[in-house]
Amino acid sequence: MRSFQSTPEQGVGEPRAKEQTEERGRIVMKSGSPRPLFFTGKRPRRDRHSRRKVSFFHFRSYEPAFKYFTEQVLDADFVPTPTPTRATIKRGEEMSADYVCTPFKHIIGDYAAALDQGADVLVQVTGFCRLNYYGELQEMILREAGYDGFQMLNFSYVPSGKIRDYIAYCKKIVNPNLSVAHGIKNLLGAYRMVEHIDAVRDRYLANAGFEVEHGSFARVRKQFLSDMNAATTNAQIEEGFRRAMDAFDALPIEKPVDPVRVGIVGEYYTAQDPTSCLNVEQKLLDMGVELSNAMSISAFNLHYNARAAQARVAEYCAYDMGPTSTFNIDAAKRYAEAGYDGIIHIKSAGCTPEIDVMPVLQRLSREEHVPVLFLTFDTQTSDAGLDTRLEAFYDMIAMRKVRS
Amino acid sequence: MHMDRAPRAPYADVKRIGIPRALLYYRYGIAWQAFFEHLGLEVVLDAPSDRLTLETGDHLSVDECCLASKLFLGHVLALVERGVDAVFVPSIMGYGRFETFCTKFQALPDLTVNAFAVAGKRVRVVSVRIDERGDESEEQAFIGLGQRFGASRKEAKRAWRAAVAAQRAYDGAMAHEQEALVKSIAKLPEADRPLTILVAAHPYVSHDPFVGGVVEDALREQGACVLFADETDRARSLKRSYDFSHSIPWMVNRELIGSILALHEVIDGIVLMSAYPCGPDSMCDDAIERCIKGKPILTLTVDAQAGTAGVETRVESFVDILSYQKKGGYLNA
Repeated sequence: MRSFQSTPEQGVGEPRAKEQTEERGRIVMKSGSPRPLFFTGKRPRRDRHSRRKVSFFHFRSYEPAFKYFTEQVLDADFVPTPTPTRATIKRGEEMSADYVCTPFKHIIGDYAAALDQGADVLVQVTGFCRLNYYGELQEMILREAGYDGFQMLNFSYVPSGKIRDYIAYCKKIVNPNLSVAHGIKNLLGAYRMVEHIDAVRDRYLANAGFEVEHGSFARVRKQFLSDMNAATTNAQIEEGFRRAMDAFDALPIEKPVDPVRVGIVGEYYTAQDPTSCLNVEQKLLDMGVELSNAMSISAFNLHYNARAAQARVAEYCAYDMGPTSTFNIDAAKRYAEAGYDGIIHIKSAGCTPEIDVMPVLQRLSREEHVPVLFLTFDTQTSDAGLDTRLEAFYDMIAMRKVRS
Repeated sequence: MHMDRAPRAPYADVKRIGIPRALLYYRYGIAWQAFFEHLGLEVVLDAPSDRLTLETGDHLSVDECCLASKLFLGHVLALVERGVDAVFVPSIMGYGRFETFCTKFQALPDLTVNAFAVAGKRVRVVSVRIDERGDESEEQAFIGLGQRFGASRKEAKRAWRAAVAAQRAYDGAMAHEQEALVKSIAKLPEADRPLTILVAAHPYVSHDPFVGGVVEDALREQGACVLFADETDRARSLKRSYDFSHSIPWMVNRELIGSILALHEVIDGIVLMSAYPCGPDSMCDDAIERCIKGKPILTLTVDAQAGTAGVETRVESFVDILSYQKKGGYLNA
């Protein structure tokens, strides 16, 4: 044990002066671990994680964003929906009414598969048209089919549409200990991830038809999606995106100066989701087409200016005709003005708003001189008829291009 | 202050206005007619639907359109051929978060204009947007419409008030009649009560003679007492429907469901009728069949090809089953 003695001209802790006359005080320091500090204002971090097993439906390649949202924003477990197979689709078809729109059938099939995998919270979004009622009816059907012990995170049940109410609802169903600050920070990450997934998709569609090494673009995209799937922080998302874009830049392509260009518009779910539209995009890419798909979460939900679009299409429609109608008419018009060689309009069977858009597109096709191919998809699984139609369309626009 | 370069009264030259006897005419037609008549216009209605209406309408529409929408275009063409100055086709969005209409009604004016343009025909459409979820009420929208015909604000307002009163009087009378009928049936002794059947369908399906007329006739021929779900007091039915579902977004379907809930005790069976392929009905009928138990339900889907024989047979066998059941099974009949 060391002892220190201080004198008036000596500081605390300095070695003892040689000639001391008087002892004024003494500091004794104990060895061993320091005494714990109290009242510092810091508590040990509490475990906020919820053990609820959340599952979404299958929607294009957005699963990493759904996963990130579940794990980093809601802070719960994520159950990936198995890749849809013929059996999943058949199951969904059997569970739904005959002429309900096709996405309903796909989604309920996915839900059944997810519940088989052990999910106990199913997420359904809200929006326009029949989508508002999807969640409630799907829950009813699944419970009647014998699935019990799950809850629906159905955003239709938040009629006010206020952020505060959405948060309260998520807390109630999924995670009562949800950290709002943490959640909002990571929600931004999820937002960025969606934008990146769409940017990669757009890049892929524009160039994959002209790749030199077969499958090289698909490889990069696959790597990107698996990076996104593994991401746990916002920084990893940005890094994965940069890496993918660099990899795309490095890939050699043989693109003609004036390639055949096709734009895709259509119903929100079917126009994007390869399972629903029998992978139309890949079929066209294999023919060597530069593709662009107008529909994506970023284009329609995040960066869409409805008023501007309405003003641009005023010559074709006086009012907004339906959930995605103005968006699609505007996109088709822009494709026509940008000199695209053809437009493909994709919808699910019985989609009222998109059926109503068809006469407008027919008129646009006539006035802007651009061929439009209308495709309707149900839960069919055979694509022979589709191939024929796509090939004929491609031949037609390619010949038209040569002639002009 | 509004600085519009467009003329203030673009419809001032319209003297004869046509209202197609289809879709929401069956719900708001009386109000529309009264509104234009109070503005001093001549209102032209075309004949009720028949096979020709459907054929002409079918010709103008995309194949996949619903039956009711094809009939609508047929009616518009009939009006155009009768030489009206313009056809009134409003764009109706809705009145609340879960009190909206099928997107068809939102698209109708533009659908009509474009379908006619594609077919190489001309039509002049007078339209108004009704969207109470925004900041404009239905009354304001109609006053604006009246002003576009050259009426003053005051005149337009008076016309709209008269229109609302006319429609309300009609709807009230129908609801009252139904209530009286239900009460008189309830007074009868159990054995003498006629078979009471509720027809739940969009008004443009159940009241269109070409579409739902067959079903009504067949039911009456069998001696059944027919109630229409769309004639029950609307406001009360709408409120009641929230007991059934939180998130059904369609107002008309809500009212039908509310009416089924209200009349469930007095009726013997339900006929759900829809025009193929109706979007709202595809989901709501499914939900009704799953949730409303205890009363037999007949689901009829009417499409363009169907002759009347099939429908009649189905209605007859439904009524037969119900009347046997009422007597306590086949053996007691």
